[in-house]
Amino acid sequence: MTKATFHSSVISLLIAAVFALGFIACGGSTDVVDSGTYNGKVKKVEAEKTEIYVTLDDGKTLELYFTEETSLTQNGQDVEFSTLEKDQKVEVTVEKVGKRLDPISVKIME
Amino acid sequence: MTELPDFWRTEVWHPLSVHFPIAILLLGSLFLFAALFFKTEFWDPMARVLLVLGTLGLWVAIYTGDLAESIVSRQICDPTVLKTHETNAYLAGWIFSAVSGLILIEYFGFLRQFRKLWKIAIILLSVAGSGTLAYTGHLGATLVYQQAAGVYTPTEDCMEFTDENL
Repeated sequence: MTKATFHSSVISLLIAAVFALGFIACGGSTDVVDSGTYNGKVKKVEAEKTEIYVTLDDGKTLELYFTEETSLTQNGQDVEFSTLEKDQKVEVTVEKVGKRLDPISVKIME
Repeated sequence: MTELPDFWRTEVWHPLSVHFPIAILLLGSLFLFAALFFKTEFWDPMARVLLVLGTLGLWVAIYTGDLAESIVSRQICDPTVLKTHETNAYLAGWIFSAVSGLILIEYFGFLRQFRKLWKIAIILLSVAGSGTLAYTGHLGATLVYQQAAGVYTPTEDCMEFTDENL
């Protein structure tokens, strides 16, 4: 390997590493679905933003920001947002407004 | 009766903090290029100072953007644009952090034997970072001017601007 080839390899690797780190750090993309009820698993909970990411059974990821109207229940009872945990099975009912998904209800299924 | 909202709302900190790093980083990248053609002692050191300061400012802007996100995501009609804006902001943040890291490594005299390699990497990353930053800024502008993200919309009769309400 010549010095020039080595240098260009190092630069390419450095740039690729920076881009990879950037994409990993931002957490990937999310999907928009029609209004309706969907089943999936909680992928991530952001408590300070009252926000959850849900991976649906078909692999799509929904980013849901709770509103004052969102109901959160478990076994038919209203529960606090802090009850939500990663990997819990949930049934979510969403309303599509433009491309925004407003969660109407989130039922913890376990 | 409608009242004007407080100006110093959480979502307003982002536009207040975001323009300085954009200007500083783009100018720093431009100065880096100028240093290739103009061999005075001004361009290269100034470019490095601007890039390091701009990177610090960029992470502040990302932090304030994160605060604003949780508010405007519940209001705008297409949060997917906001997600792309956020993704590219983080990407620009990491690219310019790499640039600043290389600048500081070189400044403190480490790995002097790779000085030319470092220089090429700094220039290439600055170009990539500037492109990503410009696209991020464009998305931010569409959020404001197409979706009114973080913007208060006055009532039709402007009653909140009457003397007794100000």
